Amino acid sequence: MTSLSDVADSDLRGIRDLDIDDVLAYVHRDLKRLPGYTELYKRYLRQRWDVYELDFSQDVVDWRERMTQEERDAFVGISAGFHHGERQVEVELPVFMLGGSEESKIYMSSQIEDEARHTVFFDRFYREVVGMPGDSVQDVLDASFEHVSETFVGPFGLLAYQADELRKDPEDPAARVRYGTTYFLWIEGVLALSVMKITLTYCRERGFLPGYYTGFTATCRDEARHVQFGMRFLRDSVQEDPRLLLQIHETLRTILAINGAASRRLALESLGWTPEEVRRLMIRQLHMKLTDVGIAIPPDIQDMVARIEPELAGG
Amino acid sequence: MRSFTPEWAQAARAAVDAGPTRDGKLPSYWNWIDRARAGYTAVWALGVRESGVYLVLTWKDGTCAAAELTSDPSAADYVLVASQATWDELRAGADPGRVVMYRQLRLERGDVLTFFRVIYFFIESLATLSRLET
Repeated sequence: MTSLSDVADSDLRGIRDLDIDDVLAYVHRDLKRLPGYTELYKRYLRQRWDVYELDFSQDVVDWRERMTQEERDAFVGISAGFHHGERQVEVELPVFMLGGSEESKIYMSSQIEDEARHTVFFDRFYREVVGMPGDSVQDVLDASFEHVSETFVGPFGLLAYQADELRKDPEDPAARVRYGTTYFLWIEGVLALSVMKITLTYCRERGFLPGYYTGFTATCRDEARHVQFGMRFLRDSVQEDPRLLLQIHETLRTILAINGAASRRLALESLGWTPEEVRRLMIRQLHMKLTDVGIAIPPDIQDMVARIEPELAGG
Repeated sequence: MRSFTPEWAQAARAAVDAGPTRDGKLPSYWNWIDRARAGYTAVWALGVRESGVYLVLTWKDGTCAAAELTSDPSAADYVLVASQATWDELRAGADPGRVVMYRQLRLERGDVLTFFRVIYFFIESLATLSRLET
């Protein structure tokens, strides 16, 4: 077990040796305390990494010679969501930055840069390792879209439409909380951390894809700041106006209503995961955020959470 | 048959009411679509930005009961607008899920959260009417 200070202080070379479970523990360590926006910005300045320092040469060998076709298909199927997802949040975040305190805006500038860097990370992985064609970032995104499942299309589409809604009045507290619930609680707090756990555990246990492991583990450490910012934003919003809790509930009702619609199956067993394990992972990720931040949910949403489908695995 | 003509509107109504061809996707996905559609009552207005023409589809208790063309979509619950280029892309086979995710079809009026509770039903309906021969 690595100390959590090692997680906080590692450079890119050191990150390669971290266990994803330690990084996930680091994500959740500060959820009860929830650091301020300026502290998170300072942490960003210390933890920023250079996506062009990643070396994918061994990943190419692993991909072509050591992984099976079934493993490659499952890996692309699950990671394609975040190839597009990173682009999607990079594009949709600026409108959220227009509202809130000056400290929030300064911090948010760092998260936008994080998301752009994560987009480049996936662009490099899909271009250099998976071998998807394209002269531009958009070309590679177009090539991988056919692998993006409804698990991602629904929530990322919802975020895009909520960004449009927020654009009309970036200071609207209710619209900000609805947007924040989709983005910080579900996309960052549940989907992203679940995909990280699944793919990075596979890489670590099999000893495959060291460039991906390094870059996505560094991405996971960035997610710690994103999730902590988001949970603080939601907690503070509800403390300031308890009626905003209803906006969180309505957004969760929508997200959980569209959960479970997966049009194709991913053979995640080939990556070492059963559908039931994925289901438990997603429920645990959601519960940890809600409990640590003190967001109460009514019985009907508790029932919806209990019925979460392991849709990452194809329902 | 040209798109966004009265003849096309009636063909679109019949096609989305019949629903998409159920091949190549998991049965559980179609079960989700069936649940979303069951009892669904709402009015969608799907417009072309340049011409200002809207196809208004009226869903009542899970049936697409009426279709009309109008330049005034104010009676619709959800007003969605795309450029002519996006409609052309859809007809040429663009993925409607991608069109939604990339916000090429904008929700200009209507509640975002309730609209998204049936989003895959909407996407499949959009796919169906986009594939009408024109």
